[in-house]
Amino acid sequence: MPYDLTPASPYWIDNRARVRQLQAAMAANGLDVYLASRPRTMSFIMDAFCPWRSYLVVPAKGDPAFFTFVIDATRVADETWLPEDRVRAYAPMGGQDQASAISSFVLEELGLTKGRVGYEDGMSTWTPEGYLSHYEYEAFRAALPGFEFVNSHELVDAMSVIKDAGTIARFREASRQVDEGHKAVREAISGGGWKGLTETVIGGIAALAMRRAGSVSEWNFAGLNEISSGRRSALGACTPPTTKPLAAGEPLMVDLHSMHRLALGDHSHNYLIGPATKAQRRHADNFVDLVSTVLGAWKAGSTPSGLAEVMFSRAEALGCSDFVVPGCEHGIGLFGDEWRIGSAADSPIPYWTDPDHIYAEGEMVICAMQYASPGDGLGFRYENPIVIGAGGVEALSKYPLGIEEV
Amino acid sequence: METTRYLSPAWGAIAKAKLLAELDPAKMNGASASMSNIYEGCADGASRYLFLECKDGALSRFEVGEGEAPEAEFRILGSYETFASITRGELGSQKALMLGKLRLKGNMAKALRLASLADRVNKVLAGIPTEY
Repeated sequence: MPYDLTPASPYWIDNRARVRQLQAAMAANGLDVYLASRPRTMSFIMDAFCPWRSYLVVPAKGDPAFFTFVIDATRVADETWLPEDRVRAYAPMGGQDQASAISSFVLEELGLTKGRVGYEDGMSTWTPEGYLSHYEYEAFRAALPGFEFVNSHELVDAMSVIKDAGTIARFREASRQVDEGHKAVREAISGGGWKGLTETVIGGIAALAMRRAGSVSEWNFAGLNEISSGRRSALGACTPPTTKPLAAGEPLMVDLHSMHRLALGDHSHNYLIGPATKAQRRHADNFVDLVSTVLGAWKAGSTPSGLAEVMFSRAEALGCSDFVVPGCEHGIGLFGDEWRIGSAADSPIPYWTDPDHIYAEGEMVICAMQYASPGDGLGFRYENPIVIGAGGVEALSKYPLGIEEV
Repeated sequence: METTRYLSPAWGAIAKAKLLAELDPAKMNGASASMSNIYEGCADGASRYLFLECKDGALSRFEVGEGEAPEAEFRILGSYETFASITRGELGSQKALMLGKLRLKGNMAKALRLASLADRVNKVLAGIPTEY
């Protein structure tokens, strides 16, 4: 879609203001140019989907220049707010490989001969984080002699923690789309409709409904829509759907993902395919109680460790602490921004969430809770994007919390 | 057949006349762009250039010369021998770029849209009886 947003749109993001904010942070940190390579930075600044290896070169003043694989440059130019002449390509041609094209821009167009280059480096739990590779680092250093390279990813990370109104509105819409997917799944499996369906088909039913509601992607790299049933629901955090048929007496976890203008819907809802045993029902009620308890305690000023205490205290009272998976959240932002809140903070274990991070008003995370009883062949997951406020949180998916028997 | 020395003033005059006569603006997609081919390491040690500018698909400026090339949207750098091979039709310009024998400076995304036009120019120039 061509870039079509105006300040009157509820989804408007002032991307030029973001550039100016980054340039101010660069000045404060003595950087002459910022060389971004992470998809999260592309989404945050470009406001466009940039799946191919890309680089964003942000000068001290003026518009950034974007470089991507030549086959996708025209499409990105159509979709971003950046002027067309600032969307460039790299290609396997003399003078146009990544290091040559970008160093030419820095040396010849920006007119820099020396200075400090901020770049993005670190570790991540997921593959597509997009840090500069060692080879790229060496290639850029060789192409820009006289420049000092400084790992500066925290500048963008810090800017992207608190969400603006346009970003939150996009997340609301993405969550509405996810809820349409859940309604379609509920309808498909009700009244015995689950018979003959597989996990992959459930994922597809949801995907079609979400696409019809306006979603452009089931963005998740762990398996698009994550669907698991039976013992697979107790196997942990990554649940790409399989061709396993749904079966009576088993749990079903439906974790759906949508994308609206780079904002990500991510809501997980759980079922028991009847007839449910008393043990299954007890586990299900425990999990719903735990989710309600944690969501009720979350507000600006809370910390990850504090919420974990709330969760485990309640689990102890319910007698289910053996089944609770540690952790209540993962980070979220525009496409590519996931899994951290800690890398913008001074975490005791680098690149992991800081347990003492203090949630602030306007921050967003995915409330992500899991419960697993492998012995009972049962597990549940709850995920929902939440906007943190002074007195509590707004859960963006409005699909009713509960584990129903179908 | 009478030949003209490659990149000499006489060759430049013939090239300009031939391009004006044979490049159909209607088939140039209304392109507006400028390009300098920069010939490094000529036999006499000099650096030469071929500068070409189109406005709305029509050739608006064409120059060959020695020394500093005029400012252009695209600069293509390479050895005299590489450019000569391209003009003789022995080496495709795309392949020369992919081999790294030519180095393109400028916005690759736009250059791609102009690649076929550059090929048409090369074909016209290849028709000039030339002494290399």
